Order: sequence, then structure tokens, then C-alpha cells
Amino acid sequence: MDAIHTYSFLFHFCLVAALAFPLLSFVLSFYISEKYSWITSVLASFLLLLGTLASAVVLYQAWNHPPFAYRLEWFSLAGYSFSAGVYINNISALMLFIVTGVSFLVHLYSVGYMAGDAGIQRYFAMLGFFTFAMQGIVVSGNLLMTFVFWELVGFSSYMLIGHWHEIPAAAEASKRAFIINRVGDAGFLVGLMIVWAHGHSFDIAALQHMPVDPTWMTLASLGIFCGIVGKSAQFPLFTWLPDAMVGPTPVSALIHAATMVAAGVFLLARVHFLFTVPALHIVAVVGCITALLGAVSALAQHDIKKILAYSTLSQLGLMVVALGAGSPQAALLHLFTHAFFKACLFLAAGAVIHSLHQAQHQSHVHFDVQDIRNLGGLEKKLPFTFLIFVISGSALAGLPLTSGFLSKDAILTALVQWHGEGFSWKLLILAAVALVSFLTVVYTFRMIWKIFKGSETATAQLHISEPPAVMRAPMAVLAGVSLWIWFSWNPFNFYGWMYTNIGEAKPFHSGMVSIASAIWVILALGVAYVTRQVTVGSPLLLNAFYFDRLLKQFVEKPILQLAALTHHADKKWIDGFLHATAYAQLIVAHLTGWFDRAIVDGLVDGVAGAAKGLGSFTRSFQGGKIQLYIFWATFAIIIFIIWTLL
Amino acid sequence: MNVPVHHFLYLGAFLFSVGLVVVISKRNTILVLLGLELMLNASNLNLVAFNRLHPGNLQGQMFAIFVIVVAVCEAAVGLAIVLRIYREYQTSVPDDVNELNL
Repeated sequence: MDAIHTYSFLFHFCLVAALAFPLLSFVLSFYISEKYSWITSVLASFLLLLGTLASAVVLYQAWNHPPFAYRLEWFSLAGYSFSAGVYINNISALMLFIVTGVSFLVHLYSVGYMAGDAGIQRYFAMLGFFTFAMQGIVVSGNLLMTFVFWELVGFSSYMLIGHWHEIPAAAEASKRAFIINRVGDAGFLVGLMIVWAHGHSFDIAALQHMPVDPTWMTLASLGIFCGIVGKSAQFPLFTWLPDAMVGPTPVSALIHAATMVAAGVFLLARVHFLFTVPALHIVAVVGCITALLGAVSALAQHDIKKILAYSTLSQLGLMVVALGAGSPQAALLHLFTHAFFKACLFLAAGAVIHSLHQAQHQSHVHFDVQDIRNLGGLEKKLPFTFLIFVISGSALAGLPLTSGFLSKDAILTALVQWHGEGFSWKLLILAAVALVSFLTVVYTFRMIWKIFKGSETATAQLHISEPPAVMRAPMAVLAGVSLWIWFSWNPFNFYGWMYTNIGEAKPFHSGMVSIASAIWVILALGVAYVTRQVTVGSPLLLNAFYFDRLLKQFVEKPILQLAALTHHADKKWIDGFLHATAYAQLIVAHLTGWFDRAIVDGLVDGVAGAAKGLGSFTRSFQGGKIQLYIFWATFAIIIFIIWTLL
Repeated sequence: MNVPVHHFLYLGAFLFSVGLVVVISKRNTILVLLGLELMLNASNLNLVAFNRLHPGNLQGQMFAIFVIVVAVCEAAVGLAIVLRIYREYQTSVPDDVNELNL
């Protein structure tokens, strides 16, 4: 690394272009008339290809150079200026490339998968928008800006889960994902406020030198971790992810496996320096619970996408454990490998669903094509998809020679290094992670076996053909990068070019871990083969330990009760107080009204009345009646006489 | 028969008062004139009664006769006016005659 490095114009241009193309795709999708909506899909894919090329240039230029930081005054408030900025180092450049690349492949795949869909423009628009927002998180050098893009990602996820909003389940799931994410984001916001209060900056580069107060730092990092728990579907805010599977399958591949849920892990790695040791312990425990829960639940699922969703949960849990164990590199390595093989698995699952739907459409037979109990023996009819499934499934299971093996190895190594000598609770976490990796093999094997091996049941009389080339190509690319070769030359040593360059490399590698891991996985494969016919029929696992209901019982109900209570208090006390003041004011108003009418007006009226009375009185003598004059004259004379005589 | 003079004065005062009340309270102009006559006659009575106190002096009685003459004239003129007014306005109530236009 050279100390002083100036970035070229090309780098700046490509950085802007990488973000601009998806945004352009989002905007253009609305300007194409509905008649030619197929253009949208082609155009969007093309723009994403350009974006991918641009991000590749960014990666090439930024790799192993000093971080690129650019700061711009955003707005100032109460004497503090808030900046918006870009911060690009190895990690974010690589992540930018992976996000854009996977997004491009998913766009390409969607051209085939979503062909003929009524909302195709909205679909591609939101896909483009999501890509832009995700890139925003990746390049952002400022936590406030990250938060903005974070919310945009949540919004586009909401739009895409609810793409088929006429299905009640989809509408429900999209709302649910959005709301659960908001719960986490509330914590995130609190964390940000604490960070601001102590560092007076949101800038990631500046925060690294901020004065540290352990208690507050722990609180701040736990707050930020709340946001990550929501976005990366960690325990206890994970229930939205399996539900989100009602969205289109490419969306599940891109958002709910490869990128968006990874945003949490990415952010956690980026602000890892903020986390104190107790906070990291909590992070590790939460990750461990999530990993176990996901893996165990995946054993009992029947829906292909649900299995993959729970496996995503479990893999995200592993990444979080690695972060908790203080090894962002291992987490990021797993994040990158997982992005490829999980996207690939989802696309392959989408291919199975797509092919079966097409076949069903021709022969007018209807059954749930996502239910693996209805599937079987598709190996002959879908050989290409089978191959893809096997490669990416092996990567998920962590079989040797795959990328998954390397990254899982990195996590295990980090954990071995972390727990140190002797017995402690950290050993339990290590054991749990080992169990998770065992279970991963079992459920992956079970899924592939149920779909492709055995005898055909419901699918026997269908004419099933492979998906079109536009869908096969992205799957092939993703399956290709699920191999070890892209991450490390040596298939048994994760210590390759990527691992050493995404963080401060700790020179620790135990060949023992690799060998033990390989043996463990092979053992798991054996167990999986033996127990392939056994289905875990536990409704407890099928519903992820009824965590939904648990949340309902212990969170939703008390909150509703609290709401009812506060509502009551509001009605009774606050409204009562307001009403009392209102009534008091009314009474005062009536009093002043009365005073005005009776005293003020009365005085004026009284004077006027007196004048009027006097007038009437004096007028009464001048009545124009002769006899009255005579009377008064007489009267006056009498008085005069009495006056003089007395 | 020797009636004390103050009895005449009482009668005169009584008649005068009655005349005054009639003048003031009656609506009809003729009755008002009637009351007027009564008052004149009450004063005549007083004039005659005072003659008793000064027997040699006839100025009072002269004055009484003079009053009678004037009263007759006055009654004649008054009645003539009342007649004209009645012809003009179809009424003999003075209060109703409150317009000057003809």
C-alpha cells in the first residue's frame, strides 16, 4: 500500500456510474409505456450490467489502496454540521461489486422468471431502486446516510415482498417485514443518538478516534445491533424472513438471501470498532441462538423456499457469531460466499418452481409446487437445475472444494481462537456452531434428495422442461463462483487473497480445524443419507418454535394492554383535565359575558334609559292636549298659591 | 234669613271646582264650554257674596252683570266655533282636532 494515493477521474466516474445506473433503471421503468413493458426488463438488465462493469472498475482501482473518503456538507443544525460522505475501502468496494453483480444476475434471471407478469414495470423499478439503496448503504461513509439508505432498503423490500399484493398473505408479509424492521430501527436510531452525543459525528472514519466511555459505548453498540437484528433477521426479530418468501423468488434470492439481510452483517463489520466486549458477547449469543433456531427449524419445513429462508437465518446467525467472536473477516468472507451460493440456491429453487408452473399450466394439474412432499425424481427432467442445486447446496452445506467450506472454516477457526484455553461458555457457542454446520448438511441433503431423487409422485405425468437460457446463465455463473477457487487457491485453507485483504489479518490458521471440519461434514453427509427418508414431523419445528405466537403472547398482548391502559389514562385523565379546563374557561366566559351585559352594557343602557325617561317625562307636558295644559296650569297655580300662602 | 257669607264662598268655590273638573275632564267641547260657564258663574256668585260685606259698593255687582254679558258673548262665539269645527271635522272633541290643514 502506498501512503499517498490519489484516485483517478475514472474511479470517481465509475463510482457515480455504479450508483447511477440502477437509479436510472428505476426512473426509466416508469417512462416505458405498458404496451412495451418487456423493454423494461431488458433495459433494466442492461443498465445493471453497465453498473456491474463500473463497480468492477471501482473494485479494481480501490483494491489494496488507502480508503477513499469523500465528505460533503449536507445540512447544519444548531451549530453542528452534518455531512454526507462516501467511504470506500476493500470491504465496501468488494461488497459494492458483489451487490451490483448479484443484482445484475437476478435482473437477468427475472427477465425469464417474471415474463408476462402484469406488474413487471413496478417489479423492475423496485429491483433497481433496491439495488441503488443497497449500494448506498455499502458506500456510505456516514452513519446518518447509512440510516437513510437503510430505510430505503426496508421500503423497497416491503414493495417487493408485496409485489403480488392481491394475495392476502403477500400483503400481510410485506407489512410484517416492514413493521418488524421498524422495531429494530428504533434501536438503531437510539444507538445513533448516543454515538452523536459522544462523538459529535456520524462519520465512520472520524468515529474511529472518538473518546470511549465503556458504558455508553456498550449501549450505543447494542442500539445499533438492534437495527442489525431487525434487518438481518436475528433472534428475536426473525419471523418476518420466512414470511417474506411469498414474494417473487428472484426477490428472495437477491434481497432475502444475498444482499439486504447481509446489510446488517455488513454494517456490523463496518462499525465493529464501536462494539465493546460485553456487547460483542451479546452479539455472539444472539447469533448463536439464531443459527441454531434456523437450522433446527429448517429440518422440518416442507416448502422449498421456507427451507432456504431458515437456512439463511442460520447462516446469518453464523456470521453474527463470527462478528461477536471478534472476527469481522470471517463474517465478511462468509457473507460474500453466502451471497453467491444462497442466491444461486434460490434461483435454482425458482427454476424448479418456474418449470413446474409452466408444466402445470399446460396440463391443467394443480398442486403446490413448492412443497417438497409433492416433488421427487426430477433429476432426469431437470438435469441442469439438479447440477446447480448440488453445487450450491454443497457450498451451503460446507462440503470441501466449495466456497462455503472455506468461509465456514474461517468462522470455526475464529471461534476456536476466540474461546481460548479451558472450559467456558464460549465452548458452548463453538459446539452450537458445529451442530449448526452438521444440521445444515442434513437439511440441505434432505431438500435436494426430496426434490431430485426418489420416485416421482405428483410430477410424474407432467412434461417438464428446463428453464430458458436467460435463467440458466445467471444460475451457472453463481454456481461457478460457489467454488473455492475464487476465494482461495488452496481448497483447504481459507487464508486466501480475499480473507487477508478484508481486515487486519490475524496470522492464525489451524490445519486441524480444516481437517476436523471436513471429517465432520462428511460424517453429517453420511447421517443425512441414512436418515433421508425420515421426516421431522414436529409442528413445533415447522413453525419455528411457535415464536410468532410467543411474540404475540408476550410482546404483542402486553403492548396492546399497555396501549389500552394508556388510552384509558389518556381518555380519563388527560382528556378529563382538558375538559375541566375547557369547562372552567366556559364558566369564566359566561361570567365575563354576564358582567359585560349586566354591568358595562347596563351602565350605558342605564344612562340612556335615564335620558329617555327624562325626555318622556318632560315631553308628557307637551302632549298637544288643551285640557292637559289647563290641568297642569291649574296644578301649578295651586302649588303656587300653597307656596305663597304657607 | 241670615246666611253667613262664607257659605256663599264655599258654594262659589265648589262650583268653581266642579267647573274646573268639567273643563279638564270632559271630552266634548260643548261640555267644556258648559264647565266654563259654571266657573264664570261661580265667580259671579263670589262677586255678589262680597257685596254683602260692603253693602254700599256696587262695583262688584256691576262687574257680575258685565261678566254675564261677556259670558253670553263668549258662549255664542264658542258655540259658533264648535259648530264650524263639527261641520269641518265631523267631531266636537278638541283632542281630535290636531291638524291645521284645511
